[in-house]
Amino acid sequence: MSYLIAFMIVFIGFLWQVSLDGIQRKVTAKIHRRVGPPWYQTFMDIFKALSKSSITHGFIYDFGVMMALGGTIATFMFLPFGNIVAFNGLDNFFVVVYLLAIGSLGMAMSASGSGNAWAGIGIMRALTQMLAYEVPFMIVVFGMIHVYGTSSLSELAHVQQMNGIFGWHIFTMPLGAIVAFISLLGMLSKVPFDTPIAPTEIASGPMVEYGGKHFGMLILQHEFATLVEVGLFVNLFLGGGNLIEYLIKYFFVYTLVTLIYAVSARFRIENVVTFFYGVPIVLSLVQAAIVIFTGLGVNV
Amino acid sequence: MALNSLLITGLLLSVLTFFLTKINKKLGSYFTIFSTLFVLIFLFGYMNDVGTVFNLGSFGGFSLQLVSSNYGWFFSIIMVLTYFLVSFFNPYWIEKMVNPASYNMLYVFSVVSTLGIFFAKDFLTLFIFWEMVVWSSLFIIPLGKSRKASVVYYTISTIGSFSMFFAVMYLYSLFQTFDIESISQNLISSPNTAVMAYFAIIIAGLAKLGIFPFHTWLPIAHGNAPHTFSPVLSGGLVKMGAFIALLVSAIIPTSQIFSNHIRIIGVPYENYIIMVLGAISIIVGTLMAIKQEDAKRLIAYSTVANGGYILIGISLLDQVGFAGGIMHIFNHAMASAAMFLAIGAVAYRTGTTNMNELGGLIKKMPVTFAAYLIAIISIAGIPPTSGFASKWLIFQGLASKGLMFIAFATFFGSIGSFMYVFRPLATVFLGQLSPKHKDVKEVPFMMQIPMLVMSLLTIYFGVFPSEMLGFISKIQASLNIVPISVEGSKIYSFSGMWDSLVITVAFVIGFIIAALIFYTHKKAQPVDQMNTYTSGEFIYDPESYHYAKNYYAPFERLYKNHPSVEKFYDVIALRVNEFGRLVRSWFFSSNASVGVFWISVIITIAFFWGDKI
Repeated sequence: MSYLIAFMIVFIGFLWQVSLDGIQRKVTAKIHRRVGPPWYQTFMDIFKALSKSSITHGFIYDFGVMMALGGTIATFMFLPFGNIVAFNGLDNFFVVVYLLAIGSLGMAMSASGSGNAWAGIGIMRALTQMLAYEVPFMIVVFGMIHVYGTSSLSELAHVQQMNGIFGWHIFTMPLGAIVAFISLLGMLSKVPFDTPIAPTEIASGPMVEYGGKHFGMLILQHEFATLVEVGLFVNLFLGGGNLIEYLIKYFFVYTLVTLIYAVSARFRIENVVTFFYGVPIVLSLVQAAIVIFTGLGVNV
Repeated sequence: MALNSLLITGLLLSVLTFFLTKINKKLGSYFTIFSTLFVLIFLFGYMNDVGTVFNLGSFGGFSLQLVSSNYGWFFSIIMVLTYFLVSFFNPYWIEKMVNPASYNMLYVFSVVSTLGIFFAKDFLTLFIFWEMVVWSSLFIIPLGKSRKASVVYYTISTIGSFSMFFAVMYLYSLFQTFDIESISQNLISSPNTAVMAYFAIIIAGLAKLGIFPFHTWLPIAHGNAPHTFSPVLSGGLVKMGAFIALLVSAIIPTSQIFSNHIRIIGVPYENYIIMVLGAISIIVGTLMAIKQEDAKRLIAYSTVANGGYILIGISLLDQVGFAGGIMHIFNHAMASAAMFLAIGAVAYRTGTTNMNELGGLIKKMPVTFAAYLIAIISIAGIPPTSGFASKWLIFQGLASKGLMFIAFATFFGSIGSFMYVFRPLATVFLGQLSPKHKDVKEVPFMMQIPMLVMSLLTIYFGVFPSEMLGFISKIQASLNIVPISVEGSKIYSFSGMWDSLVITVAFVIGFIIAALIFYTHKKAQPVDQMNTYTSGEFIYDPESYHYAKNYYAPFERLYKNHPSVEKFYDVIALRVNEFGRLVRSWFFSSNASVGVFWISVIITIAFFWGDKI
């Protein structure tokens, strides 16, 4: 039964995120004073890419793509989607974060397997960036897990709903929310943190060799990864909620990300690291210390 | 077979190995496989044996005794298993050894001696066998690339040994006994002595486990040891340090002894200091591993980082974190030995471990690649491998106590490990194949066996971690720690549970969905390695196209001018060297007049004050 719910979540999530991605392209276009593609453009991109012929650089190139998509879909199955939790009790924060790494590792492996030097540089940048954004984010959540005694995402979402809208962690733990939002920008690899992809510098980095169905699958992987990453923020800081509330919150977070990336320029990779290890890491430690030692901002 | 006769037999087997290798190199090497298997089989019978005492020998008023225990068994089975699996490599490397007979003898000798450490009933037995292991590994390391490596190893090891020896003798002068159990009983009533004993003995463990500031020997010794010995050094012998840490923090019950001491975030300050050292090792090990150009040195630094995890886990002394630390000993033994073996296999075929000379070996050595891949997934702590289980438990332990600075280091090391483990994967196995390696073949099947077994164990205990945690809960119960709660494939902690089986099944489902999408669409057309997009540049030479050198250059630049404890040690070494030269030039000069001068000085002193001295 839970596997059936998981399939359902995967299907709804796919429809939702891919449509939303199209809408965001429209939003970006409005900011750039363009017309922009229709909202279903991303669907067309995916199906067109999947139907085209592609090249392969050997076994690991194919296997890595499958591992990337498979791992990311598996991760999404464990994330609470609104109030729907497919595997009760298994929506564990650390499990989600580490399962997500399977997807990244698969993609990194596949891209390196192509033997393209641009891909290698892109992967190097992606892994470095990961070290930058994950640590502050995990420290903030670490404090949360300590005070509530649970690492289940749905329970962490649930405790926020008890005091109404001002019980959300975005209001009770504002420093942590700021850090997590900046980390979210890094996770999504959107400008200003799109250094690993950087089309103008390294020819799209990891993506440089992909075409046809491989590329289509990697777009899908990216959409599912976005679902997980934005979903983490919504559950941890905006109090989750039922399916409709969840989707509305999701929409606002994702649109805010779009508004930022539509007007920003790109960081260099070492600047990404120094940026995250400057103010955000201090804020995250301060937030964790406040939560652990004073209990301020903890919903009772 | 009784434990004491097993030990004696094992030591005799090592002597037999020596003579067999003298007769025939190959025969002797196959005999190392047999000897370690022999010990492994008989050791297995002691799985549930607790508290039986075996007498090893007596002299004067002292007797060397062994006692069976479940934590001793856990450590020794990991050690012997690692030695046994790695010994499959011996027959292929023995031709290249300078001194094959002594290599094979010391190989068996060192593994059997470790049994004496893990089952020691008293500190005297422990210390004697400790030194036996140190000395045997000391003579193996220079059989590799460098003689200087064993000097560094011995120097740092000696600091630990002397410190431990001092503490043991001091405890003997206080309590008139070497027996570990009666000493720990006595220490409960004298906590101030316990603080001294705790730090003095754990230094031996820290030095062996490669914890900052004693980590400098690992990259030198692991990087230069013979390719067949690096895996056991990293996977096995380093874990002796973890045993010492366990001995002084759990078997001597520090949570009880230090219970009234100053606490930092709910942990006695003594244990917190050790945890901070573990945390520093994680960060130092991670940052240094990212920098390395040599694959073996890289894995050695990753051992430093993982030693930090083990130490933090053990020092937590709680329900989940402690179990994670103990489980990480096994995981790291399997994963790091498999990594070293994979790199050893590459070195066997190509003759180098320098990452930027290699590349694209996946097509030539698929089994080695698979073993390496599974090992790094475990090191990085990604499900469904056993590395995730232990890291998850350690995180839970830290979260339950709220140790945020230690947690910062563990998160940093955990994410940083993606960076350094990926580097050999990308630069040795993936990327462009150099033309000079186009005739490279997969290693013989016998060398593949240990890599396959280690991969299977890593996955098995990743999918069913509760199989091992069940045993660990027994260890915890015998050490008066709340045992970890396991139910089927579910593992419970203070903040919820996880079920590795469901996660694996979900991952398989996800993979099937991806495979269906992949295989139902148009077949891809295979293209050559050199046939890639190069932004219009013309590159015909795979070596210059392979991105391997200075892989993390932009990141390394950020900590290029880092402070280094190596420089401090170098300064000390320089001063000692200068002092030695001073002594030599004054007392051992080749100039005859200097000798005459000192002789006349001594005669003068003896003549005038001889009766007073």
